[in-house]
Amino acid sequence: MGPIKTMSRYSALQALDFIKARRNPDGGWGYRPGGRSLVEPTALCLLALHSGGEGTAAAPGLDFLKTCVAETGSVGIAPTEREGSWMAYGALLAFHELGAAAEERRLTDWVLNFEDASGRFSPEELSSIAALFHYDASIRGWSWTPGMTAWVEPTALFVIALVRTGTPSTQERIRSGVSLILDRKVRSGGWNFGNPFSKSFELEATLMSTALALAALGAAGYPGDRPAVGQGFAFLGRALAGDVSTASLAWSLFALRAFPAGASIVPETAARLSGLQAENGGFRDNLFETALATLALEHPDALLPRRERPR
Amino acid sequence: MTERPITRRAALIRALEISAVPAFIAAGCRGRGKEGAAAGRQPLQVALVPCPDYDPERLLEAIRSGWASTRPPEIRGRRVLVKPNMVDVSADRPIHTDPRLVEALILHLVDLGASEIVLAEGTSHNRDSEWLFRRSGYEALAKRTGILLVDLNYDDLRPVKNVNPRATLLRELYLPENVLSADVLISLPKMKTHKLAGITLSLKNMFGVVPGMKYGWPKNTLHWNGIPMSICEINGTVKSHYSIVDGVVGMEGHGPIMGSARTAAVLVMGANALAVDATAARVMGVDPGRVDYLAMAHRIKLGSLNPEDIAVSGEKVERARKDFVLDPEYAYLRAPNV
Repeated sequence: MGPIKTMSRYSALQALDFIKARRNPDGGWGYRPGGRSLVEPTALCLLALHSGGEGTAAAPGLDFLKTCVAETGSVGIAPTEREGSWMAYGALLAFHELGAAAEERRLTDWVLNFEDASGRFSPEELSSIAALFHYDASIRGWSWTPGMTAWVEPTALFVIALVRTGTPSTQERIRSGVSLILDRKVRSGGWNFGNPFSKSFELEATLMSTALALAALGAAGYPGDRPAVGQGFAFLGRALAGDVSTASLAWSLFALRAFPAGASIVPETAARLSGLQAENGGFRDNLFETALATLALEHPDALLPRRERPR
Repeated sequence: MTERPITRRAALIRALEISAVPAFIAAGCRGRGKEGAAAGRQPLQVALVPCPDYDPERLLEAIRSGWASTRPPEIRGRRVLVKPNMVDVSADRPIHTDPRLVEALILHLVDLGASEIVLAEGTSHNRDSEWLFRRSGYEALAKRTGILLVDLNYDDLRPVKNVNPRATLLRELYLPENVLSADVLISLPKMKTHKLAGITLSLKNMFGVVPGMKYGWPKNTLHWNGIPMSICEINGTVKSHYSIVDGVVGMEGHGPIMGSARTAAVLVMGANALAVDATAARVMGVDPGRVDYLAMAHRIKLGSLNPEDIAVSGEKVERARKDFVLDPEYAYLRAPNV
């Protein structure tokens, strides 16, 4: 099945023009026009351009992204900050999509060997965390920066990137990442940043974390008939009924497309996201959000594995 | 005094802190402690201004009154960054600094001739800042007043050397350009209890200037570094020039997110964040000397928490005192009744 077209051709071209016109002289993009080039917005802009048939326009951005690769193969947030970071998920997707095979291979190795803090907790600390926050800190996932506590969103982003770039969902790190996401679920449904509880209080789920968690579970082939998914979609539906942000709406669209259960509200969610596009072609004047929205609407296959998805 | 049990990590941090103190003092850190007051220097000025509600006129009057009595920074022609506290937003719980207070301060700064005003926050848990800025009311007030609203988590960054050469994890701190380029930084926290720090006020509010895209959400590097040490290292590197604690309605119990509203009906204002926090703590019925990070900030001379070093104008602390319900783990913070 080909990509699901939910933007008009004119709107899609406008979004790509918005991105192309705001490229920095170094070839990359910042979050806002004129902002310093960073890995996440650059990677997503590259994916949007490439997926939209603007491969030539993407070339300088790929060169920029390659300058962000450290000797270890890791990718930080910018060329000058090479300590590996969560933004590597975007670089991995872009290297794969744009055919930078050597960089993709080295970065995949780095991501698969990424160390969070799960192995550093003492038994007492694990017990304390379980009692206070109601999660199992021994489950290995991904943190925002190496060596720290793993959280839902970076784990979801790396699961999505690894599966999309060809790592089997049966691979141990991906299975562990899925376990972490499931373990951090808020009891009443959905996900937040990764603390389902705090002392005697359940913490509330949030839309962006829930959407990312569901998209990752779907990418990893987690069964859609399990309670965690159903409860997640129930929260997602409630949240989407209210005020939402551009980025959360875009991630929600990926989540909805990752499971058959989301099919029924894909059209209205896509229409809502499309309606946020400004006259200049951008979304909120933000390069990352413009690229993410364009991908969610036009090229979901750039992030999620290709398979039959609901219209 | 009931001491908090010392964990292994706390012991390590304590050891690092002790070794850090002499170098930190040698670096010429601002602030003045008991010795300064004893030597006849002017005490740190803090205004404790009664403010029963968020009526805009009353807020503006309260700010003007407190501002005038506390040696505030020069504002005319300066670029001012206002840093509220928005760890999250809830319709049911007073988590974030009330936007009516933020707006009153902005109007005051306009009156004083600020050349530019920036409202900026880097949220800690939920990185959906577009949604949070809208729900908090900050987006609407920024549009209404024509000021810039900045998500510090995604601002351009620059590395800054920590003034303390023996700093632990934060020897070099990446900070947002909007923070570094501000002439004046005003910390505008909510008066709240905190499940991991006891209480959160001006100094703790500065966690929000640390960019999430570099340090993650919930600013996890800072937690691994130890919250007291991180608070002191951030405040030793980034100068806040003025603080106004929103104690009109604060939060007690399981703060900073899941607690309950508690009316203290005051603004606590001043140019020295530690003196402001110590005074606000006393209003909350907390002995500031028992709060790890306030005690550490005092030891490394970020200011003073000693009552004899602080001249409080306006309401008397004893009269304003409202004993906030503390998390049971922090019951030992409670100040004895006078």
